[in-house]
Amino acid sequence: MRDRSFAPTRILTYLVATLFAAAYLAPLLVVVLNSLRTNEEIAQSSMIGWPQHMAWGNYALAWSGFCVAETCAGIRPYMLNSALITIPATIFSTLLGAVAGYAVSLWRFRGDVWIYGIVTLGLFLPQQMRLLPWTIVLRDIGLINTLSGLVLIHTIQGLSFTVLFCRNYYVAIPHELIRAARIDGAGFFRIFWRIILPLSGPILLVTVIWQFTHIWNEFLYGVTFTPGQQQPVTAALIALSAAVADIPQHGVQSAAVIIAALPTLLIYLFGGKYFVRGLTAGAVK
Amino acid sequence: MPITTTRRRLLAGSAAALALPAFVRAQGAVKPRLTAISQWSAGSDGAAITALGKKFEEKGGVGQHSPVPGFTTEMMNKLRAQIIAGDPPACSQLKGPEIAAWSKIAPTVDLDAVVAAADYEKVVAPDLAKLHKPTGKWIALPLQIYSTNMLFLSKRALDKAKADKPPVTWADFNALAEKMKTNGVTSPVGTGGTRADDGQKFEASLAGISPAVYRSAIMNLDKKALEGPEVKAAFAQMRKLTEWMDPNVGAQPYATNLKRFIDGDMGMLIMGGWAQGVLKNAGFRLDDFIIAPGPSDNGKPVFLLNADAFIFWQRKEADLQAGQMLMAQLVMDPAIQTMYSQITGSIPVRTDVDLSGEGWSDGQRTTAAALKNAMGNNQAVLSLAHNMAQENGLTAAMIDVFTEYAKNKTIKPEEAVARLADAVEGAR
Repeated sequence: MRDRSFAPTRILTYLVATLFAAAYLAPLLVVVLNSLRTNEEIAQSSMIGWPQHMAWGNYALAWSGFCVAETCAGIRPYMLNSALITIPATIFSTLLGAVAGYAVSLWRFRGDVWIYGIVTLGLFLPQQMRLLPWTIVLRDIGLINTLSGLVLIHTIQGLSFTVLFCRNYYVAIPHELIRAARIDGAGFFRIFWRIILPLSGPILLVTVIWQFTHIWNEFLYGVTFTPGQQQPVTAALIALSAAVADIPQHGVQSAAVIIAALPTLLIYLFGGKYFVRGLTAGAVK
Repeated sequence: MPITTTRRRLLAGSAAALALPAFVRAQGAVKPRLTAISQWSAGSDGAAITALGKKFEEKGGVGQHSPVPGFTTEMMNKLRAQIIAGDPPACSQLKGPEIAAWSKIAPTVDLDAVVAAADYEKVVAPDLAKLHKPTGKWIALPLQIYSTNMLFLSKRALDKAKADKPPVTWADFNALAEKMKTNGVTSPVGTGGTRADDGQKFEASLAGISPAVYRSAIMNLDKKALEGPEVKAAFAQMRKLTEWMDPNVGAQPYATNLKRFIDGDMGMLIMGGWAQGVLKNAGFRLDDFIIAPGPSDNGKPVFLLNADAFIFWQRKEADLQAGQMLMAQLVMDPAIQTMYSQITGSIPVRTDVDLSGEGWSDGQRTTAAALKNAMGNNQAVLSLAHNMAQENGLTAAMIDVFTEYAKNKTIKPEEAVARLADAVEGAR
C-alpha cells in the first residue's frame, strides 16, 4: 500500500497552505521584530530587519509611558476604557440577541419576519451614515461623552448581527421540543432558560467572539463620543501613528499594537475552534 | 533682548484688551477656562500644544484639551457631534477654507477688537489673514506656518553629481537631477507616494512655473487658467519628477525613505519644512542635507503656505469667554509663537519675529526668509495638497487627478489638464 502522506496532491496542498500562512504571517513578523527595535534603529536602516539590541523598553513605554497630548500614561488607561465599553456591550448584545433570535425563530407572531428583516438591515448601513442619528439620540438622552453611551450604541448595533446568527441557529431546533415544553406548562422565558440556552453554546461563542473583536477594534464612535481621557485603545494607537510632522514611532507603535491586540488574540486562541463550527451551524439558511 | 520686547508687547496687548467691555466683565468675575479640540496628540505636535496649555495656565487659566487622535475627518466628526449636542468647544483646530465653511454651521466669536488691540493684521500674510476672517471679521487665528515646497538636497547625492549649489529654477533642477542620474544616484527625486505627497509635487511644479497662474487656477479656479499652458507645463514637469522617482515606492509616509535620501540613493526631496525636524529626530545630522526654497522660474522664492489655526466658537459662559480672549492673546504673542514653532519645526505666523537667535535652525531661517521675500513679491500662495486652497471635497477631487497621474505614466500632460478641469467642474 502506498503511503498517502507523500502523495503529490498532499504535498501540493501543504506547499500552498505554507505559502499562504507565510504571506499572512509576514506582517505580524515585521510588527513583532519592530517592537524590539528602537525608533532610531528603524529610521536609520529600514522598516524590515532584525533587532540589533533587544529594545524591551518599547513595551514599557507603550504600556505606561508614551504621551497622548498632556497625558503620559501609555495605553494602559485606554485599555481599561476599551474593556469598560467592550465587556458590557458584548454581554448585553449577545443576551438580547439570543432572546430576540429565539422569539423570531420559535415563537411565530404577526410581523415577525418584518421585525427580523428590519433588525438585520442594520448590517448593511455604513457606520458613517449612523453617526449623526446617534449624535442626536445621545444628546437627547444625555449620554454624549460617556462610556455608557458607547455601551448603548454597541449593544443596539450589535443586535443586527447577534439576532441574525441566533435566529438562524435556533431555526434548526425542532418545534416539537417547544410544543412539548408548553404542554408541560413552561412559558416563554422558562423555555429559553431551560431548553434553548443550554443548546446555544456554539452560537453564543460565535457572537461573543464576533462582538468582542468588533467593539474592541472600533474607532469612529469611540473617538467621536468620548472626551480625551475616556477614549478607547484604538484612539491611543492612532495617536501614536498619526503625527504628520514627526518620524513615525514604529518601535513603540508595534509594541502598543501587540499589547492592544492581546485580548482579541486570546479570545480567538481559546474559542477559535468553536468559532468556525458555530459559524457554519448558524450560517444563513 | 527679545524677551523685553515680548513682555512689553504682551503688556500693551493686555492693556488694550482690558478696554473691551466684555473682557473686563469676564476677567473681573471669573477664572478664564478653555475647552479645546485638536488632533494634536503625539510627538512634537502634542508637546507643543501641551506647552501652550501650560502657558495658558500660567496666566491664570484652566485648560481642558480634548485631543482627537487621527486625521482631520475624525476631528470634524467630533466637532460636529459637539455642535449638534449644543456644546461646542471654546476653540478648535481648523484650517484653510474649512474655517469659512464651518462658520456657517454655528456662531463664532468676533475677535476683531482683540486682534486690533494687538495690531496683528499687518504682520500676517494677506492671503492667510483672509482665510481667518471669511466675512470680514476675525473668527479664527493662525498658529504656525509651514511651507509645503521646500527643497531638501542630499549632500551625498550632490557630491556624486559634483554639484554644491541648490537649483533655483525648474531648468536648474532638471539639469541637476539628470546629472545625479548619470552619476549613480538611483532615484534623483525622493518620494513616499501618499496623496498629499503627490499633491505637493503638482503644486510645487505649478507655483514654481507661475505663482500668478497658481493663484488664478488653483485658488480661484479660473477656467481659462486651469486649461492654460502653464498647467500643462506643470503636469509635464511633474511627469519628469515621476520618471526620477523609485517606481517601487508608493503610499508610504515619505519619512520611511529618509535613510535612502541621506545615503544619496534618493537625491532631492520636495517636502514641507517639517521634514527637517523629522530628520533631526531620526538621528541624522543637519550637515547631511541642505534646505532651499522650492524651484521658481522667475528666480524669486515661491512660498506654498500651510498654516494651522484655531477657530473660536461662541459660548455664553463668562469663564469660557474670558478663556477665549486669553487664548487669542497668547496665540498672537510673538513669544508664544516662538515657543510653539521651536517645538514643532514650523515658522511663526508673525513676519516680525527675529529668527537669528538660538533655538532656530538654518532651515527655519531659510523658510522664514523665503516667506518674507515671497510676500514682498506677491508670491506667497495657499497650498492645495494641505487643504489651504479649497474645501475638502474639491481638494480630494483634484488630488485624485494628481495621484493617478503620478502612478499612471501613460497619461499625457494635455489629457491630465482636461481631467483636472473635469474634476473641478464635477466637484463644484
